Amino acid sequence: MPQRTQLYIVASRHPRVGKTLLTRLLIEFLRIGGRPLVGYDLNPREPTLAGCFPNLVWPLDIADTRGQMALFDRIVADRWRTTVIDLGGGLFDQFFEVMAQIGFEDEARQRLIQPVVLFISDAAPFTAQTYTKLRAQLEQTIFVPVHNEAASFMMIAKDFPPSSPKFRTIRIPRLSPVVRGLIDRPGFSFSTYMSQQPGGPTEVHSWIGQIFAQFRELELQLLIGELESSLRGGGKEQISQTR
Amino acid sequence: MAKPALILVGADKGGVGKTTVARTLLDYFTAHHVPTRAFDTEMPKGTLKRFHRDVSEVVDATAVADQMRIIDTLSTTDATVTVVDVRAGLMSPTLHALRDIGFLDAVKKGQITFVVFHILGSSIASLNEIEETAPFTTDAEYFLVKNFINNTNFFEWDQATHASYFKKLKDAVIVEVHKLNEMAYEQVELASVPFLTFVANKDAKGETANYSFVLRGYVRHWLGNVWAEYDRVKLLDLFETTAEAAPARAQAGTRS
Repeated sequence: MPQRTQLYIVASRHPRVGKTLLTRLLIEFLRIGGRPLVGYDLNPREPTLAGCFPNLVWPLDIADTRGQMALFDRIVADRWRTTVIDLGGGLFDQFFEVMAQIGFEDEARQRLIQPVVLFISDAAPFTAQTYTKLRAQLEQTIFVPVHNEAASFMMIAKDFPPSSPKFRTIRIPRLSPVVRGLIDRPGFSFSTYMSQQPGGPTEVHSWIGQIFAQFRELELQLLIGELESSLRGGGKEQISQTR
Repeated sequence: MAKPALILVGADKGGVGKTTVARTLLDYFTAHHVPTRAFDTEMPKGTLKRFHRDVSEVVDATAVADQMRIIDTLSTTDATVTVVDVRAGLMSPTLHALRDIGFLDAVKKGQITFVVFHILGSSIASLNEIEETAPFTTDAEYFLVKNFINNTNFFEWDQATHASYFKKLKDAVIVEVHKLNEMAYEQVELASVPFLTFVANKDAKGETANYSFVLRGYVRHWLGNVWAEYDRVKLLDLFETTAEAAPARAQAGTRS
């Protein structure tokens, strides 16, 4: 059975909610398995992620058609690679608008690409409305909410329901400020840090471990969904069933 | 034998997107399996013919022989619909000619379905064209097309002036054609294929092409919206056709 490749879209409407941090964690998690991977940093003014992963993450400006072609045409052509997108507030609306307008979901389904939005929640009422609207608009995309405890004290779960109860909210625990400074250092690698524990596990080890475990769980659920769908003999059913 | 139908697509001004509208009409009829032929009056090379080679012929609308090729064959052609893309400046002369040869009388008697797509430019001259055209289109299905393809703003002048012109045309129906993404438009121009063929990623020979997925998506979305306008004005109902009335937007694969 040909397996689907994931297109992860780490999205947030607002800055400083941990979007790039989550994308860094996700990329490092996906790299552990050694799978083919590519990333796009859609924050043309401040492409922090692209700076963290040269030759793996490419900065793109999708404000014009050329940038949109560079992104979406490449994604559909590269179906053999897992793609990770860091989508910031500046181009947030335009990204989803273009995605809907060009019929990306249908093409993705045909090419066995599964879009998964990791949506970073925040307390602004408009964010919850946006989440609801996007879920309704993109029926074949899986939505998984993310709660970054360092950015917002609490998340109202009913405002951010995942596409299916089997996909749990990804929780990023709060880190102490001192330790936070460590992971923000240029060149810091989560996976390298995990493999080195000279003095035994630290707060950071446990923090990374918790997040990676949630990624593992998400990937497992995606795989189970796909297997269930193939047993039923359809691709589209998987999505409708997950909603 | 189905009642013959003639569609004139024209404007007295050039550069308002007549051929673009004619192309969307041909694609619309193709999608609905309505047998259609087209005449391109851009002598000698033709513009419409570049995109719709198989169904188009280039003619000289001012030559009697070519007028006969269009009109005299209406009742014998296999095509249910005949689309004529009228070159800039020829709209009024063509309507005069149609009156003189008795075509408009046949329309009045209900022997022929006559449809006019009058493409409007953004200047007041367009409104004057409406006034000139009006006496000839009493028995026609008359569509005024606001074509935004050139990103123009329509009728920014006094609303009362605007209204006074449109009042003279009680039966005219407005159709709006919105702007297609510029790069997508250019790529279809370069490909020289019907919009529908571009969306299907095929070249002029029917071979798989390598058009951008993004640009195909933009064309599909836009074409779906144009066809939604044709659906809205119930264009197909004007013709005697056996076509299955599958919604055009579904055929274009477009969502709202």
